[in-house]
Amino acid sequence: MTPSEIRTAAQIAASETEEDAQLASDSRDASPDASDADPASDTSLPSGAGTGGDGDDEHGSSRRRPAGPLIALILGVGLAFVGTWLWWQASNDDQLAAAESRDRVLIEATAAIETLNSLDHRDVIGDLKAWEDVTTGVMHDQIAATDEVQRQQLADALKVSEGEVVDAAVLRLDGPQATVVAAVEITVTDDAAPESEPTLKRNRFSADLKLVDGQWKIENLQQVAVSLS
Amino acid sequence: MSRVRALLGARPTPYVLAAMLAVIGAYGLWQAHDLRSTPAAENLAVVDASLTAEVQSFVTQGLSQVLTYNFADPDVTTAAADQVLAGDAREEYDTLFADLQEKAPGQQLVLTASVQSVAVKELTESSAVVIVFLDQTSQRAVDDQGSISAAQLSVTAKKSGSTWTITELSVL
Repeated sequence: MTPSEIRTAAQIAASETEEDAQLASDSRDASPDASDADPASDTSLPSGAGTGGDGDDEHGSSRRRPAGPLIALILGVGLAFVGTWLWWQASNDDQLAAAESRDRVLIEATAAIETLNSLDHRDVIGDLKAWEDVTTGVMHDQIAATDEVQRQQLADALKVSEGEVVDAAVLRLDGPQATVVAAVEITVTDDAAPESEPTLKRNRFSADLKLVDGQWKIENLQQVAVSLS
Repeated sequence: MSRVRALLGARPTPYVLAAMLAVIGAYGLWQAHDLRSTPAAENLAVVDASLTAEVQSFVTQGLSQVLTYNFADPDVTTAAADQVLAGDAREEYDTLFADLQEKAPGQQLVLTASVQSVAVKELTESSAVVIVFLDQTSQRAVDDQGSISAAQLSVTAKKSGSTWTITELSVL
């Protein structure tokens, strides 16, 4: 809008009745807000200031119309971003991964400790094979190295041992290494004396485990002896 | 009209696009919540190193004090029990302690407990279940008899404010 147009509007307003003048000044007040590309509504003022006012409302709503979709899009993008970010964070959280790992160690260690406390004289070879499967390192090699004489001794002892973990917990977890402590009840049945009651022993163990090919295996299993210190 | 066009796949309106993005976001939030609310994720044992260490040191100290007893000075043990024990653990302990109080002076009994290891099994910000390997030596001054015993305990502890107390105690 040019200054000359404002003057024209003012002159026209001055020559109108009081009511019209009021409307004209309204449109003049509003006209600086109107877009430069639309001087027609200003020049058409004499024919009726009321139309100018209506035209102004249209301008307002045509500017407001994109606001709704825009806000919706911003909210949508925001929610999508926050959601996927939190999801990504959760699936890459070291503590969550460690928690899963801890629970798996405990389950596998419990089974392995029970296996290593169980031996049936009727199936020494099968049981020793099971011991090999749940161990690694030196312990595994020692079990694998039991010779015929030792196996025969185990068979001749006529004992059936069964270990049951009463309770266990992870003491330490450090990547692929872990330590688990367990309270174990061992039931020994003596088949050489079938009329005798099975003997019960309560023991406490500490097991060092190592993750080998996705499976936790026992590297070292020892009874926790009383300490006099 | 525009809705029809969007359904036909010509050009999604901003609202449809926004709704699709919102669905993606909501799905992500749900997945994240799912991952964080598994039993494994809610158990802080071991994975929260400082809280785990806090419980371990409390149980080590607390149990050593409560299970150490000198006939000549039983008040130390009683005072420790007041601080460390609560609930069922306290009641059980009181029964045992009453027994001990009867025998101890005559036998001049001295018990010394030492905790060998405390492994935390379950842990939240305000509660813990731990497994304790404990040794207890007993000395009877009257006939100079001594013995040592090994025990495995399951201990439940609760935290209120910044203080832990042992609320349950059982021998494994």
